[in-house]
Amino acid sequence: MKRQSKLTSRQSEQQQQHSNQQAEQHAALEFPTVEEMLRHDARHTPVPPSIAHRLQESIGPVQPRPWWRRLFGS
Amino acid sequence: MNTTVKQSFADRKPTRGRLSEPVHSDCAGTQTPPEIALAPSKFADIYNEHSRAIYYLALRFLGDPQKAEDATHDVFLKAFRKMDSFRGESSWRTWLYRITINHCRNLQQSWNDRHMFSNADDAVWDNAPARTDSPLRVLETKELGQRIQKALDGLSDEYRLLLLLVADEQLSYEQVGVLTDQTPDAVRGKLHRARKAFAALFEKTA
Repeated sequence: MKRQSKLTSRQSEQQQQHSNQQAEQHAALEFPTVEEMLRHDARHTPVPPSIAHRLQESIGPVQPRPWWRRLFGS
Repeated sequence: MNTTVKQSFADRKPTRGRLSEPVHSDCAGTQTPPEIALAPSKFADIYNEHSRAIYYLALRFLGDPQKAEDATHDVFLKAFRKMDSFRGESSWRTWLYRITINHCRNLQQSWNDRHMFSNADDAVWDNAPARTDSPLRVLETKELGQRIQKALDGLSDEYRLLLLLVADEQLSYEQVGVLTDQTPDAVRGKLHRARKAFAALFEKTA
């Protein structure tokens, strides 16, 4: 009896988790304006990290400081 | 990621930028005094602060993630090379948007020339029954981006650009007007029609 009740509670927990996941998946969003919707979309649109890597390559290698700058500290 | 970008760019030098003087940030919209020197690390700050907005504009304007990535790269590379020509007459954001808009328009133009493509007639959507005062609802959050893109693709370049720029809270109607070569009143008028057209198209994507 005790074992059965434990099983039941575990099942109900799992069901609860499942329904929570479904609710998240089907979460309704409501935006008062087009701009709000676009802002939300922009916030959730990540910048691909590859852009920064490509930029670093495009900008080129680090240029060593000329000897006179190293000497005079400018 | 921010740290990596900052460290890597910090070692690089803009084409003719001076390095030693302090830099005033105008990212919040305030003006930078003219003749200001730009430290190389400033570029990393600019990238970290504005790359999301620039990438988003390119993505939703061009409608293609790969093209948007290329465009964002090209825009920031151009900005890096022209940093010393920035005179602080506008904010960094506005300056970068200007480069992005020109770049994206050139890409669109060359693509349209090859494909003879034209946007949907906005008059159709102007007369559509969609209401702009009712909220826009989305059930599947994961589909939001796709639906937004579909709706934007149905708009003219002008309406699409207006909506994307006005959605940026850092820009005023005046700044949007400067970027799109029209008065703030014209922006307001067209924006009303653009919202309506978008709402009608968005409903159709459900």
